[in-house]
Amino acid sequence: MSSTLSRPRRLGLAAAALLSLTSLALSGCAGGGGASNDAGGGADNTSITVFNGATGTIAENFNPFSSTALQPTLGVIFEPLFWYNAASDDPPTPLLAESFEWNDDGTQLTIKTRDGVKWSDGEPFTAKDVAFTFNLVNETPELNTTGLAATAEATDDTTAVLTFEENSFMQEPSVLGNRGIVPEHIWKDIADPITETNPDPIGTGPFKVKDFTAQSYLLEKNDLYWEEGKPAINEVRYISLDTADAATGALLAGEVDWMSSFLPGLEKILADNEGLSYVNTPALTASIFTCSSEKLGCKGPQTDPAVRQAIYQGIDREQLNALAGGGFAATASPTLVIPDRDADWIADPENTETPANANVEEARKVLEDAGWVEGSDGIREKDGERLSLGIQTVSGYSDFISLNDAMSQQLREVGIELKPTAITYNEWVNNLNIGEYQLTLESIGLQPSNNPYYAYEKWYNSANTTPVGESALNNNTARYTNPKVDEALSVARSTNDEAVQKEQYGIIQEEIVRDMPYIPIYVNSMLTEFNTDRATGWPTNEDPYALPATWKSWDNGIVLKNITPTE
Amino acid sequence: MKYILQKLGFYLVAFWAALTVNFFLPRLLPGNPVDIMLAKLAQRGPVTPEAREAVELLLGTNTEAPLIVQYGQYLGKLFTLDLGTSVAFFPASVTDIIAQTLPWTIGLIGVATVISFILGVTLGMLAGWKRGSWLDNLIPVTTMLQSVPYFWLALILLFVLGGMWDLFPLNGGYNVYETSPGWNLEFIGSVIYYGTLPALTIVISSVGGWMLGMRNMMVSTLSDDYILTAEAKGLRPVRIMTTYAARNAVLPSVAGFAISLGFVVAGSIVTEAVFSYPGIGSALLNAVGSNDYSLMQGLFLVITLSVLGANLLVDLLYSFIDPRTRARS
Repeated sequence: MSSTLSRPRRLGLAAAALLSLTSLALSGCAGGGGASNDAGGGADNTSITVFNGATGTIAENFNPFSSTALQPTLGVIFEPLFWYNAASDDPPTPLLAESFEWNDDGTQLTIKTRDGVKWSDGEPFTAKDVAFTFNLVNETPELNTTGLAATAEATDDTTAVLTFEENSFMQEPSVLGNRGIVPEHIWKDIADPITETNPDPIGTGPFKVKDFTAQSYLLEKNDLYWEEGKPAINEVRYISLDTADAATGALLAGEVDWMSSFLPGLEKILADNEGLSYVNTPALTASIFTCSSEKLGCKGPQTDPAVRQAIYQGIDREQLNALAGGGFAATASPTLVIPDRDADWIADPENTETPANANVEEARKVLEDAGWVEGSDGIREKDGERLSLGIQTVSGYSDFISLNDAMSQQLREVGIELKPTAITYNEWVNNLNIGEYQLTLESIGLQPSNNPYYAYEKWYNSANTTPVGESALNNNTARYTNPKVDEALSVARSTNDEAVQKEQYGIIQEEIVRDMPYIPIYVNSMLTEFNTDRATGWPTNEDPYALPATWKSWDNGIVLKNITPTE
Repeated sequence: MKYILQKLGFYLVAFWAALTVNFFLPRLLPGNPVDIMLAKLAQRGPVTPEAREAVELLLGTNTEAPLIVQYGQYLGKLFTLDLGTSVAFFPASVTDIIAQTLPWTIGLIGVATVISFILGVTLGMLAGWKRGSWLDNLIPVTTMLQSVPYFWLALILLFVLGGMWDLFPLNGGYNVYETSPGWNLEFIGSVIYYGTLPALTIVISSVGGWMLGMRNMMVSTLSDDYILTAEAKGLRPVRIMTTYAARNAVLPSVAGFAISLGFVVAGSIVTEAVFSYPGIGSALLNAVGSNDYSLMQGLFLVITLSVLGANLLVDLLYSFIDPRTRARS
């Protein structure tokens, strides 16, 4: 037996009868209860199990450049130069680098790499590996998911210099924090880095692959890890489960130590299980996306900014949180940053938070002023057009479906009719991208760093949108166009002076708070459940030292190297 | 011989029709693989606008080529058994994914179907032989279990036997913590232990049909003259029951059995979802979720082949075991 057995044994009567031989063999081994050890020379052999949302068969792929790489590839096996914490406003944490510096016009980035780091095969890590990684990405368009246009050179063993074609301050987080560095001595011999599955990955991360099967894989501690005394646990197992019910069952049975799912009745479940705890790190803003531009082909009343403003004022977020958010959601900001974390980036304090309750009077007034008058059935009209809007979401997203139902009732008060539909995920993504919707529910997602530039660029820049019928590629799907915003973005892009940027964001915020192409509802809960029976030191609500969601790349490595075996 | 050739020709045409539907159906789904992959990537972390181009290049999704050209390429590749590369599991090939998942499904659902058939036919034979016995009265109960929606029955059994009483594991194909796949006792034992509950739910929910069908055929066979003759000859009752009555009564069930074997591959989706079983059904769900055309085509191909194959087998076998169905030659 290779691994130790500290898990509760579950030998059923039927099974015992069926497999008396096997059962005997297994229970004989279970008697040891975690005594045997084959890795860490006498240390406690703690093994934890992670469910990161994988379903069905797992395909082996530890290629850090691949879009379908298994999630622990990034952060747990391969490390970036810096780590950007999406859960706090701290500056980036140095991992494989120690510092970085830009030249004045943003075309040259000099990186000092960490000394004394070793690859898991014992070879030393140097700046040459960094240069090799970025050159490989730059030369291979299939791998270049970040639009990198730079050549890299290692001027000595601990200095790498990236030279960009143009001002590239905004490439900073994707270069420093979103690219796993690979060893040159291995990857220079890999024939096709695109289809390489890298079954035996050599990285610098805290763990390395021990065993892989299509149902589960096991990582073990990297004894050569550069940070003294870390990681403290020996093995991490990743498993695949098909449904949320199966995941809940596995958590309660003690078979999973770490997972991120929304569990109905979480408080009650945890109250009965002492070993279980959870943390809530709201980070994604649930918003109503509106197809906003008549010019680009959007049809319906939502192309009128007054209607969008009335929806913004007319929904009761406190009630929505109670009905759909399970009470776990946090307050959003009309500027679409996270108020708790990014308050410094909000120019006008007025725009820090969304109203908690419905502002029915205000909403009615906005609509009156815009010429929407009440019809006989209470729904407003203008030039014969009823103020009736279709709102889409994915069938199976139960919280979003409840949101839609609750909002339709709330908005009836101000004379707006919402007609919710639930469709399949594929159809919904497609509709969102080609603009085939009036309103749709979606989350404003995570960005490379906490600088609001990335959100504003992605969702508001008119360069990132397309006419209705063509795919907007998951970017400016609201089809928002505003020359003032575009201008401010181009100024913010050309500098790394945060004061200048903040001033520009102020201009953008004023425009988007008025136009409201994305109407924020609340910052959705992100619940992560832990079992503290085997390991402790998980992120908590008081100390969210990393975004604890199991599906989040990079942060996983930080969490796994910081948790410690339970005494 | 002519009969067999005729049959084969018919199956060939059916196979081609299935392949064609197989090609066009997935493409009628809304959305495309690249958008779905980007949306999924965006859930895991930041995705830059440039990512799309890279993903398109990576997957080689050549959406420019007209459908008819793609269709030609698809048929051509099938003959060389090249099913393409999966998008959801990139860069794994479709053949790899099928090879990984098919054994689980055939093992679980196949064995469960065989058990269910043998159990149902045997019980049905006994029930028909002794009408009005307690076994005969059991039939309505089993058909009721069959009419309960399968996923519901499976969830209840999982909750009671797996959750409340801890008799069986809750999910998975084997104990991933303590065993690793291979021809060793531990692993095989674990597979049997983990497969017992899913197999049990399949047997419970399908045994009623076999039992009812067999029992009714048995009753009508027993009223035939040759049974009376056999009894008059003074043969042992057991012999009359098995070689005289059951042998003839089982014929329709055999045909049904062959067809249900064909559906083994297709019918596993719900079972595998409930028990997180690593078979072909969960791979199919994944493929549909990612608009993974190649994988869907590959899986449908396997399903088509198994259904057609089972039908062909029963056609040929039937003419052998029941001479009455042979075409006049």
